[in-house]
Amino acid sequence: MGTRARNSLLPTFGKALAVVLLLVWSLGPIYWALATSFTTPADLVSKVPHFFPPEVTTEHYARLFGGSSVSQGNTVQSVWPEFSAALLNSLLTSLAATILTVAVAAFGAYAFVRLRFPGRDILFILVVATMAIPAYTVMIPLYRLMISLGMIDTYVGITLIYVSAFLPLALWLMRTVYQTLPISLEEAAWLDGAGRIYTLVRIVLPLAAPGLIAAAILTFLNAWGQFIVPLVFSPTLATKPLTVLIPEFVTRNYVDYGLMNAAGILAIIPPVLLVIFLNRYLVSGLMAGAQK
Amino acid sequence: MKRRTFLSILAAAQAAFMLPSLSGASAAETLTVLLPPWGTIPKEMTDRFTTDTGITLNIQTMGWDEIRTKIVTSMVAQTPPAQATEVDWSWVGQFGAAGWYEPLDGKIAAETVADIPTAEIFKYEGKLLALPYNNDFRILIYNKAHLEKAGIKEPPKTPQDLMDAAKAIKAAGVAQYPIGLPLSATEGTATAFYLLTMAFGGDLFDKDFNPLFTDKDSGGYKALQFEAEALKAGLIDPAATGLKDVEVQQLFKSGSISFDVAGWAGNLAVYSDAGKSQVAKDVAAALMPSTTGKSRTFGLPEAVGIPAPAENHEAAAKFIEWIAKPENEIAIYNSLGDLPPRVSVLEQLNKEGKLFAGDALLAQAKTVEPLFKQGTPAWYPEFSSAVASTINQVAKGQLSVDDAVAQLAERAKEAQSR
Amino acid sequence: MAQTRSVVRPAFIRGEALLGLAFVLPIVVIMGSLVFLPLVTTVLDSFYRIDPMRAGQPFIGVKNYVDLAGDQNVRISWGNTLAYVVMAVVLETLGGLGAALLLNKVQRGRQWLLAAMVVPWCLPPVVNAIVWLWIYNPSYGLLNNVLMSLGLLDAPKVWFNDRGTGLFLITLVHVWRMMPLTGIILLAALQSVPRELYEAAKLDGAGSVKAFRLVTLPLISGGLAIAMSQSTVFAFNLFDEAWIMGGSSLDSRSIIVQVYLSAFQNLRFSYGMALSLLAMLASLIVSMIYVLRVYRETRMD
Repeated sequence: MGTRARNSLLPTFGKALAVVLLLVWSLGPIYWALATSFTTPADLVSKVPHFFPPEVTTEHYARLFGGSSVSQGNTVQSVWPEFSAALLNSLLTSLAATILTVAVAAFGAYAFVRLRFPGRDILFILVVATMAIPAYTVMIPLYRLMISLGMIDTYVGITLIYVSAFLPLALWLMRTVYQTLPISLEEAAWLDGAGRIYTLVRIVLPLAAPGLIAAAILTFLNAWGQFIVPLVFSPTLATKPLTVLIPEFVTRNYVDYGLMNAAGILAIIPPVLLVIFLNRYLVSGLMAGAQK
Repeated sequence: MKRRTFLSILAAAQAAFMLPSLSGASAAETLTVLLPPWGTIPKEMTDRFTTDTGITLNIQTMGWDEIRTKIVTSMVAQTPPAQATEVDWSWVGQFGAAGWYEPLDGKIAAETVADIPTAEIFKYEGKLLALPYNNDFRILIYNKAHLEKAGIKEPPKTPQDLMDAAKAIKAAGVAQYPIGLPLSATEGTATAFYLLTMAFGGDLFDKDFNPLFTDKDSGGYKALQFEAEALKAGLIDPAATGLKDVEVQQLFKSGSISFDVAGWAGNLAVYSDAGKSQVAKDVAAALMPSTTGKSRTFGLPEAVGIPAPAENHEAAAKFIEWIAKPENEIAIYNSLGDLPPRVSVLEQLNKEGKLFAGDALLAQAKTVEPLFKQGTPAWYPEFSSAVASTINQVAKGQLSVDDAVAQLAERAKEAQSR
Repeated sequence: MAQTRSVVRPAFIRGEALLGLAFVLPIVVIMGSLVFLPLVTTVLDSFYRIDPMRAGQPFIGVKNYVDLAGDQNVRISWGNTLAYVVMAVVLETLGGLGAALLLNKVQRGRQWLLAAMVVPWCLPPVVNAIVWLWIYNPSYGLLNNVLMSLGLLDAPKVWFNDRGTGLFLITLVHVWRMMPLTGIILLAALQSVPRELYEAAKLDGAGSVKAFRLVTLPLISGGLAIAMSQSTVFAFNLFDEAWIMGGSSLDSRSIIVQVYLSAFQNLRFSYGMALSLLAMLASLIVSMIYVLRVYRETRMD
């Protein structure tokens, strides 16, 4: 850790303070969701708010994971079948959208930076400009289109919509990443007789790893949090994600805050695991390694 | 390029790369039904429906706030959202004017419709668009322990009684803000105001939809004044400007407030459940207060209807008739807590002692009237959101009651004129 | 960077255009069919009166747009949205840059800090709403409690009764959720700044602040442009936060809330769509201002 003193912009104390600030800002509100998820329904409506559940209960998690409980004299069904299906749908559609988006962006952005072809710049500008389109603007014509393609409530349909929504950002990000890469390495490879595609895959992509990973994280998280698109395009549990399922824990006369928060907390876990796992590729170490 | 030309090219383009359709005719007859979470009838019942009719049910569930977005999106795109869907009382005017729903006249037995008085609310220009599966009306819900502690013997009979009782409760230190009324810019605020308008003996509009709430002696004016005064006197939580109806209900369950003025009839079951409410032992219901001596309330039922472009209307009609059967209404009440629309079923449940505060509920149920006697107009949602926003402005002190009713009349005219 | 292109060109130069087109073909197909086709439909629709409650769909030219210009509610919504955009872009950019610089410096446990930073983005919208409604709750919310225990406030405050405060608090929820996006974009940009450049700057005697201004900022300007235009676009599209905290209240109504009310609540479909197109244009124009500026400045360096 000898380098730490040298490259720290802020004194160590300031850095520690900044870390604490970031943690409180990001996780403070999450704590409330966590506390609520362990609070009994009766305590949730108590007059005095509790910062820590007076009586810790795991009943909400139990219902998510297969237990049933009694309410108004009736047995309340476990929501595990719905919850697990929606969790799987969220994972599958987000992962598929991420892989597809990053793959298309990795090649496409390369073309926008290094290859000359007619209409290159105008196409890039048009695609990036679509980021500004509000979801409502295209929703109804898109719905008509997806119906005629028979792609409502299919993984393919929802994944393609996500790709079309998140591709512009990934493309733009990858374009700036490629632009900062020195072309000399590629030229060296060409001189050695390597082809374009070989050079791109074996030399350029590893160098662009931090950018690819950032694009992947952004796409995954964007897809994970989608609400209005799956609401319209994923009507049943065949493809319905968690974001659309959780609001259904509101019954006619009763809002199940505990259950909703428990489901929300569980919904955080997969993306967080993904980020922790991908973090090491965001580190420039990989890039530096490739350069040597 | 003309829009029509463009659309036809678009359609051709779509057809050209249309995937081979996988959704060929399935062997068994299936029916897709789109309902909110409280319409997700248990599997035991859907199985029974299949045995009874040979039709397999596919119930699609969607959160309450989202279900309308889904229906509008589909219908504007000229495709049915499902073969039968939720229809809320407040949508009837719009959906009727748009011709989106297939009239049920002749498809449902007359005696079924006759036993469901709230079916009247789902008529558009005399045609029945949907049949209620869930009853809802407003009733005064109160915390009887609070009243006793403040020395009040019986629940308020008039709005003035309500105000006085609230003052006594506040003075006795039993509750800081005894009256629970939502004042945020959300629909619950508007419906509570309509209810108070009725409590003051008024109506919103005359038969030609001219506003009746602008006059100082009108029910609507007095209702708004009541809300403003109660807020000023500290009888309503100042925080109510940010509270939706469900949040006011949370306050009632916690014992913070004494009166859930615009109480939902169906909520009594939750309020009296000790696992979900801190006031389970103290909750009680009474007829809505009234200045005329005759308690009034209005119905906010939900129904099932058939989107016009959907296939197999007959199967959908069978389903609609089936869930309206007395035994199924009881089963739905037992499993989902939806109050039965049939008066006969309500009476039976009360006799069996299954209805909390059943006597008050039944008495109030008999006074239920539609908010609009002519049928819910197409401009209702626009008007209602203007009502909510305006009341919110009054509560925040941005608008006087006089300016507010004038603004509302203006908005009503605007909404009607287009 | 185009000018750095070397004279050394491989022999397969003629295939370049073909390869380029092959690489962008999926983009053209996906974006063309799923975005541009629907967009053109909506643009055409906005010149017709499409109102499901009225018979016929006559061509009305720019009437929808003219009506929008005279609509009082629309004007108020524009004002609110402008406030959201300005506050959100400033806060997200500063906060996101700070977080990215911090993450770039932290060596140990960085993956945990990164994970902590993105958590707000992963919380499903409806749960997010429950949490923030509680924080802002006037009677027993966290915000009042904290401010009162710090002695900054004597009595609980009803935050949303004041328009300015309400707009700020709604923006804060939006910033809380969207800041990770800026943070990740800028972190990726920072990661591609070669370390040697810092060292060169140090050798030249540049202090931390100067090194940041002269070395880091120009090199991450591309990322900054992306992050800021993303913030702008998302702030123009702000819906959930305003709808949950304020409903249809005019004090907090954003332009997309107004679109929703016009098209989905009042069923004036093409009127709402025309407004959504204007929102799109506005966010494009505002984003373009930074992007052009950033690119011009980079080119000069």
